[in-house]
Amino acid sequence: MGDQYRDTGFIGILITLVVAAFVLFNIKRAKGGKELFIRRIAGLNTIDEAVGRATEMGRPVLMVPGLSDTSVNAKSMQAINIFAYVSRVAARFFNPILVCCYNAGILTVATEIIRDVYQQEGLADRFDPDSIRFISDRQFAFAAGIAGLILREQAAACFFMGEFYAESLILAETANSIGAIQVASSTELTQTPFFIAACDYVLIGDEFYAASAYLTRQPVLVGSLVGQDWAKFMIAGFILVGLAYNSGAVLIGKTDHEFDDDNHWVATPKERPMRATESMMSRIFDPHPDPDVKIQREKHPADELPIGGGAGDGQ
Amino acid sequence: MNLLLALDPSSLWNGENGSTGLWIKIILALLVTSGGVFALARAPAQVRKPVIVAVTFLSGLYYVLFWLFPQPINRSTPSDAPRNMLEAASFWISDAQNIVANISNIIAGFLIGLGIYSLLRIHLRKIVKKQTDWGFSAVLVVSLVAMTLFGYWDWANRQSPAGGTIPFVPSSAWGFQQYARDLLFDGLLQQMDAGMFSVVAFYIMSAAYRAFRARSIEATILLITALIVMLSFMGVIQKPWDDFVAGTLAGGNKDSVLNGLKLSDTYTWIRGSIQTPAIRGIDFGVGVGLLAMGLRIWLSLEKTGGND
Repeated sequence: MGDQYRDTGFIGILITLVVAAFVLFNIKRAKGGKELFIRRIAGLNTIDEAVGRATEMGRPVLMVPGLSDTSVNAKSMQAINIFAYVSRVAARFFNPILVCCYNAGILTVATEIIRDVYQQEGLADRFDPDSIRFISDRQFAFAAGIAGLILREQAAACFFMGEFYAESLILAETANSIGAIQVASSTELTQTPFFIAACDYVLIGDEFYAASAYLTRQPVLVGSLVGQDWAKFMIAGFILVGLAYNSGAVLIGKTDHEFDDDNHWVATPKERPMRATESMMSRIFDPHPDPDVKIQREKHPADELPIGGGAGDGQ
Repeated sequence: MNLLLALDPSSLWNGENGSTGLWIKIILALLVTSGGVFALARAPAQVRKPVIVAVTFLSGLYYVLFWLFPQPINRSTPSDAPRNMLEAASFWISDAQNIVANISNIIAGFLIGLGIYSLLRIHLRKIVKKQTDWGFSAVLVVSLVAMTLFGYWDWANRQSPAGGTIPFVPSSAWGFQQYARDLLFDGLLQQMDAGMFSVVAFYIMSAAYRAFRARSIEATILLITALIVMLSFMGVIQKPWDDFVAGTLAGGNKDSVLNGLKLSDTYTWIRGSIQTPAIRGIDFGVGVGLLAMGLRIWLSLEKTGGND
């Protein structure tokens, strides 16, 4: 049992469960009324300013929740949560919005959430379903469609948040060319430098996931954010302990075993200094599965085979 | 009944390709599902919410189990029988993956219809009311119809008994529909995609020009770092400079600390000691954030839309 435990070791799954426990525990704390601190995020403070500017200019606020190969994923949901706040501010200012969607799943979710926002603000009659649009599910057709919308509608504020790839710079530079104020964030690290070069404010890395907690101060989100911080402290702790342990192992550790070409841990004739990859710490985080494990099982009768199943791939 | 026999044509869930029985099952499934969705849409929020929460939880639970439940080792053939309950569960989870993936694909297929509806609603209205830039909308609608028409015409043609012999490159076996599809897809769409992508090169130049103007300490550091990295990739500069450092500055001494001034060494140091650790740090934050977000969605903890 446990192919994935042989590949990544139990430690990966254990850490995942510990992180989940941190998040859930802190959500419980926050719901219990505990005041939890979140540091200031400059990019998010400008949302009100950006929407206000768009209102003064009488031009729309444009939002793009990124690409998503699957219909809706956690990244696009997070982007829509941030856009719900932007839409709320825009609704209060009676400012038009435009949300450009890469696939119809995002379109449906965004429509429902933003409609709710308008209803909560008592402005249901001002909600325009056409303001949330499906553009295309082809990357560059999507980019071309949004670039066209930015130029035709002369958007005054643009928010690009979510999963962006090569189209990031097309969107950001087009918005920049008409002087739109831009707040952006890409979950793809390779695109973050492009946004930094072309946009006014950029949320880097996990700031994107902290945004909705910062904006709405919902106890669930704030608690989750503090749980994430605990997880990051734990990871930093592992790095420091691993650094010290592996340095010690390399400096003073000795071993009389080594991995052969077939990944077997075999004895060597004499003791030698330990390599960093051979320390206990390394072997916990990067285990070498025993290549000789074989399991004999009885066979199913031919007419009971799970034809639709994923068997046979050895996973 | 083994639910995992879904792809077996003789099971309740399937039928022979093109058979009447299969079509009846498809229509029944459509009616039942549409009825379910309609009932859910009409149901009051206090009924709808628990249903959505339950479906979300069960869907998420499957994938949590798929990744965390011990997967079978050395299950080399589908005929392997599980040795115990734990292994039976892991086999079931593993086998169900195709079925679950099919469900996701079918739902995604229906969503395409919603997307097309949204596009047509907006653009047809624009054309009918002759609003500003209605010409662009007309181009979009004509393109949408033409691509769908010729795409399906070509596809249907290839489904016929002789269709399997039609090549995907121009040949005498091609009819009007193949030429039309080729013109629209390979001749126009692919080229326009490539055209949009190539625009990025020009945008990189204009964005880099603004980012690298040395107006602050940070921008200056960025400028110098970028310059070193770019020069290290230019052999015509990198090679003579590295030779100069190794020969003249370090005097041929391989252990000299001055060897660190080689462009290739400096680039390696920047990448290994500055860029990679920074990216790792951000990666950890993103990964943990994604996990927390997934957990909140799975357990329906988050109030969508938020409030202030």
